[in-house]
Amino acid sequence: MKSLCIFTALLLVLPASSPLVGQTPDPTWNLDQSSLTYHMSHPMHEVDGTSHAAKGKGICHAGQCDFLIAAPVKSFDSGDSNRDLHMIQTTRGAQFPLIEVRLRLPQARVASPTLDCDLEVHFAGNTAHYAHVIFHQTIEGNVHHITGTVPATLTDFKIDPPTFLTIPIKNDIPVGVDMTWRPS
Amino acid sequence: MGDLAARTGVLVAILGSIFFLSAPSQAQDAAQREVQIASLPDAPQPTAPSQSGLDRGSTSSSSNSLAFADSLQPPVQSPPAPSAGPSLSDLGLTAAETEGSAQRQALYDRRTHMLKVHQRLGLITVIPVAAACISSVGAPPDHGQYGNTTSRDIHVALGGTAVAMYGAVAYYAIRAPKVSNEPARGGVKWHKYLIYVHAPGMVLTPILGAMAFNEINSGQKIHGIASAHGAVAVATAISYGAAIVAVSWPIHLKF
Repeated sequence: MKSLCIFTALLLVLPASSPLVGQTPDPTWNLDQSSLTYHMSHPMHEVDGTSHAAKGKGICHAGQCDFLIAAPVKSFDSGDSNRDLHMIQTTRGAQFPLIEVRLRLPQARVASPTLDCDLEVHFAGNTAHYAHVIFHQTIEGNVHHITGTVPATLTDFKIDPPTFLTIPIKNDIPVGVDMTWRPS
Repeated sequence: MGDLAARTGVLVAILGSIFFLSAPSQAQDAAQREVQIASLPDAPQPTAPSQSGLDRGSTSSSSNSLAFADSLQPPVQSPPAPSAGPSLSDLGLTAAETEGSAQRQALYDRRTHMLKVHQRLGLITVIPVAAACISSVGAPPDHGQYGNTTSRDIHVALGGTAVAMYGAVAYYAIRAPKVSNEPARGGVKWHKYLIYVHAPGMVLTPILGAMAFNEINSGQKIHGIASAHGAVAVATAISYGAAIVAVSWPIHLKF
């Protein structure tokens, strides 16, 4: 009888003291599809370069979700191979081959229709911070579709503006973001 | 009654032992938090706004602020590590994809430098090419006046300058390091196709011009293959201009 009492007490008490009680597994997010497009402007040229090669992951823990998105510099395609190679040279893409974007969101706000993000962007050997970048989100099932624009500039990353006919391109190189995330 | 007391005693003993076992770790955690808070500077302000939803996690520049933010949070079962964010290896990227090469960057720099010289010289070369075309009007002998060679000599000099400069332009394009084996796309593809027109043209034009020059100097009318000098020169000049436009295409003027 005593052993039965002890066994019952252990069944009741030990699980309650376990740190796993009440916790659901921390969700992770995977970047399913992406389209990152930079826009370059020059008095004689308007150019868009797009990459579909970005990879991303989000890890949620203790109510916070940390996201990392990385895209190879050489994966951006402007439709002109010579321009793309020149872009790699100008942005020091052979020495710093990845663009990395990190952000953190409260887990409770991951499903918000509007995401107010502070971004940390590593590019061309430099780091820039963009505060309050707004992304719009639509959710269909477990697919989270996110769109927005990162207001990047050349000076943010200490990139010398390329010139054509001695006229430099504009400093603004906004990057359009169109991504699809899935939780797992 | 004695049995009930025994059961109660056992239960109390179990609860007591569990509490006793867990108490040191809780006390230790509390002590660690106190030490962390005590070691912090006085009232720093968080850099990210409270509504921004970002604490700059997992980055070298902001890991301190993140640790500070964590220390102010109420105790949790397992506080997140400052570098809890995903890493590049979590994305499945290999070292070859993440590590850059200064040597390769130097190759790109050299390529760009040589192609910039190619571009600049190429644009400058438009001047002697155009001048040679314009001066060609006065090159043929007028009505049998074979003795006046000034116009012809000017045309020869301008043509020779154009060909020499074209050679320099070509040198910088050919000697520029190749950094990609992918086929050319966009305007540069047509820029390269047109080489097959203006490069032979730049070789043929002076040869045919020399033949025509000799025929004129010997008092003959230009005949045979030398009579194609003008047509070949025009085709060469047009294809050269088209190559310049092609590499700049599409052009959207917006001032």
